[in-house]
Order: sequence, then structure tokens, then C-alpha cells
Amino acid sequence: MSGPLSRVDAWLDERLGHRAILKHALDEPVIGGARWSYVFGSALTAVFLIQVATGLLLMSAYAPSATTAWASVHYVTYRLAAGWIIRGLHHFGSQAMVVLLGAHLFQVAVFGAYKKPREMNWFLGLALMAVTLGFSLTGYLLPWDQKGYWATRVATNIAGTSPVIGAWLQQLMQGGPEYGNLTLTRFYSLHVGLLPLTLFALLGAHVALFRKHGVTPPHGADRAKIDRFFPRQLGMDLAAAMAVLGVVFLLALREHGAPLDAPADPASDYPARPEWYFLPLFQLLKYLHGPMEIAGTMGVPAVAAGYLVLLPWLDRAPTTALRTRTTYLAPLFAGFAGVAVLLGLAIHDDASDPLFQRARRVADARASTANAMAMSGVPAEGPLTMLAHDPELRGRAIFERSCAQCHVLGDVGDRKKAAAPVLDGWGTEAWVASMMDDPDADDRFGHTPLKGTMPSMLRPAPDRKPDDPPFKPMADAEVRAVAVFLASQSDGDTPGHAVSALARDPDELKKGEAIVTNRCTSCHLWKGEGDDSSQGDAPELSGWGTVAWARAQITNPATKATYREGALDPKTKGHMPRFDEDLSADDIELLARWVHVHARGGTLRARETGERTR
Amino acid sequence: MSDGDTGRRGALKHLIVVGSAAIGCAIAVPAAVFIAAPVKRGGGGNARWVKTVRLDALREGEPHKVAIVDDERDAWTISRGVELGSVWLVRHGDDVVALSAVCPHLGCAVTALPDATFGCPCHTSTFAADGAKTGGPSPRGMDPLATKIDGGYVAVDFRKFRIGTHDREAIG
Repeated sequence: MSGPLSRVDAWLDERLGHRAILKHALDEPVIGGARWSYVFGSALTAVFLIQVATGLLLMSAYAPSATTAWASVHYVTYRLAAGWIIRGLHHFGSQAMVVLLGAHLFQVAVFGAYKKPREMNWFLGLALMAVTLGFSLTGYLLPWDQKGYWATRVATNIAGTSPVIGAWLQQLMQGGPEYGNLTLTRFYSLHVGLLPLTLFALLGAHVALFRKHGVTPPHGADRAKIDRFFPRQLGMDLAAAMAVLGVVFLLALREHGAPLDAPADPASDYPARPEWYFLPLFQLLKYLHGPMEIAGTMGVPAVAAGYLVLLPWLDRAPTTALRTRTTYLAPLFAGFAGVAVLLGLAIHDDASDPLFQRARRVADARASTANAMAMSGVPAEGPLTMLAHDPELRGRAIFERSCAQCHVLGDVGDRKKAAAPVLDGWGTEAWVASMMDDPDADDRFGHTPLKGTMPSMLRPAPDRKPDDPPFKPMADAEVRAVAVFLASQSDGDTPGHAVSALARDPDELKKGEAIVTNRCTSCHLWKGEGDDSSQGDAPELSGWGTVAWARAQITNPATKATYREGALDPKTKGHMPRFDEDLSADDIELLARWVHVHARGGTLRARETGERTR
Repeated sequence: MSDGDTGRRGALKHLIVVGSAAIGCAIAVPAAVFIAAPVKRGGGGNARWVKTVRLDALREGEPHKVAIVDDERDAWTISRGVELGSVWLVRHGDDVVALSAVCPHLGCAVTALPDATFGCPCHTSTFAADGAKTGGPSPRGMDPLATKIDGGYVAVDFRKFRIGTHDREAIG
């Protein structure tokens, strides 16, 4: 170095003495020579520093409360420039730390670096591992999405099963008997305050002790060979850090940041799974029941931790030859193998479980809806309120709750148990045509009290007597005209379907109208009138298939707006009940629209559906 | 140490410097973009027409302060119908002059004085009835806003302006 820069350096060195410090740091002897096996510790430190940097940035845009956490993480992920990459680095950086932690532990154990005089540093390392897992646990909850919420609830419930102090411990972690604002603020303060401070202190001591004792070269290494830390070992460390960062970047790019599930909803069904590195423990709990359960939740982790703590005392011989230490290290190898097997089993179980896959698809659909909706802002009441106002989700929820015990529509309801018509296609030409052909089909009125009340227009009645007048099926053109006319009544209610109204043939419509108003009214009502307008089971056909017709039918099927007053006669069992006592007028309106649109294969999703980022 | 060794050592040193710089940039560049991102995002300063009071409610030549009520997007939160700020309206026949109630000096709320002129209570800038600067430290007169009459109501094109500059510059 020469020129002005070196003069500044010299000037500073006179005052700071940094050259000597740097020289001491860089000239550290590496006994036995630099090795790739030593890179894990420094790679961990590098990733930790990245976590600190990205974590500080995320703190600048994160708001820890039950109503704002999810919204702010959504904002970071989808709307703030470079937010997705910062969150992606933090998310996958945390996973990289767990992987590197495993590698570091394994390397140190195999090289025998826990032996005298390095026991204290082994313990510091174990403490650092505990702190890192604490980071994982607390960080997983912070987005307050379904994934983090449910997985963390399982973890705190496990803590709650601890003997004696369980209930107290759980409430302490949760900040009360239930999950809420205080759970988030507590986890947040641990994640960004206590845990980082602890980790910095432990890491400082860990590195200082490492410098004091130096590396533990593998058994049989040439101890006479000595490299300096700079440049060879530092070069390897740096290469490893770059490789890890590269993988983390690639993962973040592939996921476009990090996944964000639907907002935490305590009332939902959710197929909870922990983060992948906790899956082995999760899997273990499937096999351990009753009194054995605590062996899985606490026993196995406690035994593993106990073994690692005791290892320096179990294996006290000075030699680090692996051959002589297999007995002591066997549990470590078995542990790693067990973790790998359980992880594989957990992944395999989920991949081959259709129920889990279905629940996952439902959860993913909800996540993508929530993420799309939040693009236009989240109300101050929080993301659950936002979702509750989504007509599509709310309509489906009401249908599931109030209609799906009897009806089927799309993937809601059970066809085998259906005691009312399958509503797919209700209000369309195809539906009318099918009713005129076979009104008592299984997916029409075959399982209702109305079975047998409407004759088929195309085939003779099954109970036809020989002296009945001869049966003459209705002409195809007439069936079609009736279908077109009845279906046309709801054209105006279906957004985006105005074109089909124009496409209908006016002659056909006229013909259909004539048939309906003249012939169908022998049983059916037309604008409140029928040949025998006070009796019979046949419903009103004017406005049939419209939202208004559906709304009237849901509100009360016996007002003559749809079916006649006798439709709710207590003597007929299994008729459709009135819902105006169970549902609000707004909900009935929404439900009617939802049924109308879904019967035509649409959805009530007016908002943008595509997530901007996927 | 041979020349070859020295050469390799030197090359390695350079690689270490380049590698460290690469890692630093990989974090620093997204970090800078991230932290600077909200700077470009206007808080609530985008131009928008907001309906205020009925024209009938304004008395000729008399300053009348109205709240600007509209939806607000604050980062991730959307709020419906909140007060975003205030505007002074002065009626002249069928025309209405609208003046931002934010003092262009340092952003205090400008008040109307008894003689139908305006004054800032913080640093005593004074403005004429039409908003022109008449005294005090303000670098410019009050900021005028476009108005129109919409179905009997006064609509204001609500904007915010940079504070403390001589020239008027809309922000957001």
C-alpha cells in the first residue's frame, strides 16, 4: 500500500492500533493446515450476520399485533420494493443455520473437539444450538399466518404438558391463557431482543475460546504443518459462506421470497405441520400415545441433549481416533440416522395422504385469496375481517353451514347423502331440460318429498294404467324453447353473461314463453297465477333461476313467491325449511348470489385473483 | 517462500477481497432498495377529487374550513372515510377558492383571521384573503387547490405540497 490511503491508515493506526489487532486475527495458526471441514462454524457466523442485517430491515416494516402482523408481512412480501428478497433471505437463512448447525455439530463431534481442554466450548456450542432453535420457534409465529400460528400452538401446548409447571409455563409463553397480541409481542421481543443478545454473548465466548485452544485436527493429521488463518482458511471459509448464500438466494428466488399462508384463523381447519427440521419430532408423536407421548415431546429431546452434554465425560480418553470412540459416538450417528428416517417418513406420509393433500389445497386456495385481497389494503380490524367480507369465501361458508347437509353444489356437499337437488347448473337450459326429462333423477327431486309430483314430459309415468290416454312425448323443439325461455329470465343476474342473452333466438323465446304461460301453468305458477293457484307443489316459474327467486326461496319457500303456502306443511317431511330466522338478510342475499353464480360454474370473485408475484 | 507461493498468496488475497465485497453487495443492494422503497410511495398526497360541503353552506367571501374525508392507504392498512386534512374554502359567487390549510413555511395549520385573511399561529406568517403572502417567514403564499361544483357540492382536488420551498411542488 502506498499513497494517501496508506498515510491515512498509518495515521489511524497510531491512534487505534488496529493493524496489530488485524494481524493477530489473521495470523492465527491453523495446526495441521487449513481444511474444508472447518468451514461450518464461520459459515454459521456469516449466515447469522445476514440474519441480523435482514432482521433489522424487516423490523423496520413489521408491526407485531394480531391485527397488523400478517398485513405488514404481506406488505413486505408483495408490495415493498425488495421486501420479498429481504424476507426470503431471512426465511431461508434461518433454515441454512439449522442445516449448518447440524453439520458443525457432526464435524466437531467426529473430530473429537469436545475433549479436554475444549469441553466448555462444546457446551457453549450446545447452548448456541438451543438459542438458534429458539430463534426458529419464535420467528415462525411472527407472520401470524396459519402455518406459523398452528405449528407454534402445538409447540406451546407441548410445553403446557410439562409436569408440574406445564400450565404456568404455557401461560408465561403465551402471555395469557389464549393466543393473541401478547403472544406475538412476547415472541417478538424474544426474537429480536433477548435471543440476539444471548447469541452475541455466547458466540463471542465461543469464538474467544476457539481462538484460545485452536482447531482440533483430525486424528493422524500432520501437526507440524501450520497454516495461518489468512489467507487459506479464510479463503475456504469465505467460499463456503458464498456457497451457502448462493443457495439461500436461489431458494428465495424460487419461492419469490418466502411463503405466506392465509392469516391465522383460530376457527379454521388447518393441516398444521412444523417447519421441516421439526418434522422428525412431529413424526415421532404419531407413534407415541397416552403416557408415552411425553417421551416423544420431552423425553427424546431431553435424552439427546443429556447425551450431548455428557459426551465429554463419557469419552475421556485423550485419543481422537474415530476407531476407538465408536461406542461413544454411536448414539450420535443413530440420532442423525433416526432424524433422517423420521423426516423421510413424515414427508412420505403427507405425500401419500389424500386427506392431507386436499386440506393443503384448500389452505393454499385460501392463502392465495387472502394474498390477492390484501393487495388493495387490509382494514384496520385485521385480515380476518377482510376475509370475512369476501363474498366468495363467505358465500361458501354459509352454503357449507346451512345448505350442504341436503344440497350439493360444486365440491361442497356429499352426493351420497344429498336429500335435495344437486344445484350445479340450476337456472340453466340444461337444468330445465333435465327436469322435463326426469324430474325424479337422483340429482334432481328423487330424494325429496316432491318426488313423483312432476311428470316427465318425455317418458310415460311408471304407474301408468292401460286405460290412461296414450302418452305423447313433448317435441324436442318445444323442450328446447321452454329451456331457453326459462333460463333467459336470469340472464341479467349473471355478470359477464349479457352476451348469452343476446345470443338467444327471439322466436324460440316467444315460443317458450307461450308454452310456459299456457301449458305449464296447469300446475306451476306464473306471476302468482296458475290454473289452480292455491294448491299443488309446483313452484313459480316467473323469475325462476334469478337471484331474487333464490333469495325468496331461501328466505321462506312458502310465500307463493316460489312455492305455494303449503310448501312448509309440517306433514311433509324433508321439505326445504325457511332460513330468514337463521340468516341475516345480507347473508341470504349473498348466499343467493353465490348459489346463482356457482350453479353456472362461476365464482363471486370480482377482485383480481392472480397474485402479482406468482 | 518461492515466487509461485507469493503469487498464489497474492491471488488468494485478491479473491478474498472480491468475495467479501460480493457478499457485502448481495446484502447491501437489496437492503438499500428496501429501506429507500417507502420514500417514493406517497402517504396520502395523490391528486384526488373529494366532495366537501354544499355550495349553499358557504357565505360569500367568508373563509370556511372543511375536512377532507376519503379512503386512506397507510402502508398495509386501508381505512374508509377518514379525515386526511383540512382546506379553507372561500366563496365568490358560483366560484370557490380552495387553499390548503397547511402553512408552506413549516407545516403548521393556518387559521383564518377576523378580517377574512389568514395567519399561521406558529411563526406568524400572514396571508391575504386570496392566499398571497403578506408577511412573515413563509417562502410562498398559501397553496391553492382546484375546485369544481359537483351536484351542488364543492369538490376539491386535494393535494399536498413540499414544505419550506419557494416554488410550489406537489408531492405524493
